Amino acid sequence: MEIKGEQDFNGPRELLYELLLDPDVLSAALPGVERFEEVAPETYESTMRVGIASVRGTYTGRVEVLEQSPPESYRLRIDGSGKPGGVRADATVELSENGSGTTMHYRADVKARGTIARLGGRLLGGVARLLIGQFFKSIEQQVDDRAA
Amino acid sequence: MTIADGPALPKLIGERVKRREDPRLIQGQATYVDDIKLPGMLHLAFKRSDIAHGVITRIDTSAAAAMDGVELVITGTELADHLGPMPIGTPFPAPDHFSVATDKVRYVGEPVAVVVAEDRYIARDAADAIEVEYDELPAVVDPEAAMEADSATLHEGFERNIAVESYWGGTGVNPETAQPEDDSAVDAAFAEADVVVSQRMLNQRLAPNAMEPRGVVAQYEPGREYLTVWSATQNPHILRTLVAAMMGLGEHQVRAVAPEVGGGFGCKINIYGEEYVAAALSRLVKAPVKWIEDRTEAFLTTTHGRDLLGYIDLAAKSDGTITGLKARIIADIGAYEVLLTAMIPTLTGLMMNGVYRLPVVRHELTEVFTNKTPTDAYRGAGRPEGLYFLERAVDMVARELDMDPAEIRRKNFVPADEFPFATQSGLVYDSGNYEPCLDKALEVADWQGLLAERDAARAEGRIVGVGLSFYVEVCGLGPSAVVPTGGWEHSGVTVERGGKVTATTGASPHGQGNETTFAQMLADHFSIPLEDITILHGDTGVVKQGIGTFGSRSQAVGGAALISAAGKAGDKMKQFAAAMMTDQEVSPEDLVFEDGRIQVEGAPEVSKTFAEVADYAYVPVPLPPGMEPGVSEEAFFEPENNTYPFGCHISMVEVDRDTGETKLLKLIAVDDCGNVINPLIVDGQVHGGLAQGIGQAMFEEVVYDEDGQPVTASFMDYVMPRAADLPVFELDRTVTPTPINPLGAKGVGEAGTIGSTPCVVNAAVDALAPFGVTHIEMPLRPERMWRIINEGEGGQS
Repeated sequence: MEIKGEQDFNGPRELLYELLLDPDVLSAALPGVERFEEVAPETYESTMRVGIASVRGTYTGRVEVLEQSPPESYRLRIDGSGKPGGVRADATVELSENGSGTTMHYRADVKARGTIARLGGRLLGGVARLLIGQFFKSIEQQVDDRAA
Repeated sequence: MTIADGPALPKLIGERVKRREDPRLIQGQATYVDDIKLPGMLHLAFKRSDIAHGVITRIDTSAAAAMDGVELVITGTELADHLGPMPIGTPFPAPDHFSVATDKVRYVGEPVAVVVAEDRYIARDAADAIEVEYDELPAVVDPEAAMEADSATLHEGFERNIAVESYWGGTGVNPETAQPEDDSAVDAAFAEADVVVSQRMLNQRLAPNAMEPRGVVAQYEPGREYLTVWSATQNPHILRTLVAAMMGLGEHQVRAVAPEVGGGFGCKINIYGEEYVAAALSRLVKAPVKWIEDRTEAFLTTTHGRDLLGYIDLAAKSDGTITGLKARIIADIGAYEVLLTAMIPTLTGLMMNGVYRLPVVRHELTEVFTNKTPTDAYRGAGRPEGLYFLERAVDMVARELDMDPAEIRRKNFVPADEFPFATQSGLVYDSGNYEPCLDKALEVADWQGLLAERDAARAEGRIVGVGLSFYVEVCGLGPSAVVPTGGWEHSGVTVERGGKVTATTGASPHGQGNETTFAQMLADHFSIPLEDITILHGDTGVVKQGIGTFGSRSQAVGGAALISAAGKAGDKMKQFAAAMMTDQEVSPEDLVFEDGRIQVEGAPEVSKTFAEVADYAYVPVPLPPGMEPGVSEEAFFEPENNTYPFGCHISMVEVDRDTGETKLLKLIAVDDCGNVINPLIVDGQVHGGLAQGIGQAMFEEVVYDEDGQPVTASFMDYVMPRAADLPVFELDRTVTPTPINPLGAKGVGEAGTIGSTPCVVNAAVDALAPFGVTHIEMPLRPERMWRIINEGEGGQS
C-alpha cells in the first residue's frame, strides 16, 4: 500500500533536514521507540513498541538513509518485524520552502506481511496515520524549540 | 401365543423426521476433536511462513527449544527423516509436497517448523520465538501472468507453472494419440451461428469456513505398535489408509476416528500435513499430541475452493437453439496439489454440457500453480463453476435474442425420452425430466407475476431484476473406475439381543443427518421403532470399511449399501423366525416384517416378535440346520454410474441506487434429487447450499495482494452470508428416481450451491441491464454495483 501526505513546519528547511536525520531527535520523536542507534554510516537500528489493537507488539527494524540531497530530499529504506508480522517500506521525503516555512512531502510504498498484511487497508492505514501524526507533532515541537 | 399387540408403526421414509443428532449438538453434549483429552497429552503449534514465496536460508529454533514446557522443536528438514512427501489422490503429475516445508515456502501459512509443548499457549509462544530468514522470491499471484515465460516459477519441472493441461473438442480426443482430432465442427458451428456471446468470467476463490476448524489428536502406543488418530475429517477410512502408508504401518495398526465433525464442505476430504505430523510426532515423543486449528490458520491453510477463470463462447441460432460451446478454463490451484486438487477443475468441463443438447463442444483446461493456499473440493466441487459459466452464457444469449430465459432453456433441454443421455463430455446422465421441473419453478415463483412486479418497480425508479438458472449436477460418487480411493460404500447391520438394531456406515457424516435417515430406512425395513436403531459411523475401529462423505454420496451409495446389508440381515431373521414356527409349516419366503413382528404375510396371528426372534438367534437351541448363530451382516455397494440430479432456481434482487447494495428479495428452488427419504433433511441441505451459493454470488471472496499476502484472513474481511441477508426460501421439488441404486435417491448436498449462484448473478445483471451491462463479476460488492449504476447513468446523460 501507498502512504503519502504533506506537512507544514515553521522552521527553515535546512533545520528541518538536520532534525529529521538526527538519531537523537528521531529517537525522541518516533512513538514508542526504545532504542535508535546508528550501526553503520547512514544505517540505524531501532526497537519500537506499538500498542495498537492487533498490531500490538515490539518491532525491531533497520533504517537506511539513501540518496541524500540536503536540504531538499532523501530516501529511506525501512525493514522491521515483530510478532504480528513485518513491514518493508521505501519512502521518499522532499522538503520545499513555502514562504513562511517548510513543506514536507512524503510518500512511502509499504509492503506488509503476517498479521499486519492481513489487517491490510482496514487497520494499517489508520495506524500509520496515527503514528505519523504523533511523529510530526513531536518534530514540530522540536523545530519550534530550536527556532525560539 | 405369539401374537404381539404392538402399535401399528407408521412408515417413516418420506416423513419429515427431526434430526436425531441435533439435541446433543445444540446442548453442548457432543464430542468434537478438541473435546478429546488424553493423559499426558502434548500440544503442537506450527511456525508458518509469513511470506508467499522464498527460499529458507536460516531457521533458529534455539530460543524456542529453551523455553520451559517445550518438549521438542523440529524443522521441516528434520521432519523429512520421519515423513516423506504427501500422497495425492489424482493421476496427474505433482511436485513433492512435504508436510512441513524443507527448502522453499510457496504460500503464506505454509508450515516451516513445529513445536511440541505442554500446553498450546507455550507451544504458540515457542513457535513465535522461532526465527526464520528467507531469500524472498517474486510472488506468483495472477494465474495468467504465471503462464508467461518471464514469470517466476514455483516448482522445478513445471514450466510456466502449468500443472495440468487438457483439451477435448469436436469429435473428441483420439485415445491412441491423446491428440485432439478434427474439431472443425466447432469452428463451423460458430461461423454459422446467428449469435455468439463471448465472456471472460471469474468464479472466484472461496474459503470453505466450516464452523469447526480442523483438528487432530494422535496417539501412538509403542507397546502395541498401534496408532489412533482422531481428526475432523470427512473420510476416516481414507485417513487411515494414507496415515498408515506415511507412517510405514499397515492398516491393521491404525484406527482413525472422526468424532463429531462440525461441517466439512469438501475442505475436510484432504488429508493434511498436520495430520501426518501429529502421528509422526506422537511416535517420536512417545505421547499423545493434539493440534487444533485457529480461525486464521483455517483461512490460510485449509484448502480453498473454486478460483476458475473462464473464457466462454456460446453460439446459437436466432430462434435460441444452442449450436456450440467453447470453454477455455484456467484454474488457479494454488501452491501445491493436495488430495483431489487437480481433479476438481476437470469436473467443470465434464459438467458444462448442462441440461442441454449441445451439438459441439471445445474444452481447454489449464491448471496453474500460484503462491496461494492449495485448492481442493468445496461444496459442489467443479460443478458450480461449470454451471455458473454455462448458465450465465445461456442467459446472455437469451438477452441478446430478447428471449425469455425460461423459454431458451426449455428449447434446448435434453428431452425426457432421451435418457440415459450421453453428453459431449462422455458422461451418461442416468435419468432426467427437465420440463416439469421448469414448469413447477415457474409456477411456484409466479414467473409472469414476478416479471410484472419487476417492471412495476422499475417504473417507480427502483433497480430490480429477476434471474433463472437450470442446473444438472453429478452425485453419488463412484463408481470405483473414477474414484482413486474406490467408489463403493460399506455398511453393517447387526440385530442385537432384544430386537434392537445397530448399523454402521462408511459414509461418515458431518451434518448430513445419516443417523436419522439411515434409521428411518431400517425402521421401515424391519418395521421396528426408530428408537430401537443406532447408526454408528466415523470410526474405523467400529465401521469395518468405508470411503467417506463427499460428492453427495451418503444416500445414493451409502444408503444403498445399508439397504443391501439390511436385506441380508432381514433374510436371516426370517430364517430364524421360520425355524421357530416349524410346527406351523412357515417358510422364510412367506414372512414379512410388520409392526414389530415377523409374520406370515396377511396373517398376523402366525408370527413371532422381532425381539423374540433376535433372542433366539443368539441362543439358538436348537440351531437350525445349516445356520450360524447371530444376525450381523454387511454389504458393499458399488454403483454402476453416477446420479445426475437437477433443478431450477429463480431469484429476484433489488439494488440500492445510492449505496450499491444488493438485496435478495426472493429465492425459489425447485430441486429434483430423486426419491426423498426425509424431506426435512433435504430442505435443510438445500437451505445450507443456497446460503453458500448466494454467499459466493454476493459476498465471499479470498483476496491476495500483489505480494501474495492474503488480505481476507478473518471474518472482519471475508464476508459470510448471514441470516439477515437471506430471504425466506421457497422450496419445492419434482421426483425423478434414478435407476442406479435400489433407493432411487440421487443426492442433494451440493445442489443449493450450484443453482443459486448463477441464478442470483443473472438477476443482478437483469437489474443493471438498463445501465448497459451484460455481465457482472462476483461477488456483487456494493462498490462494484454502485460504479455500474453511476458510470452507466453518467454514460447515458
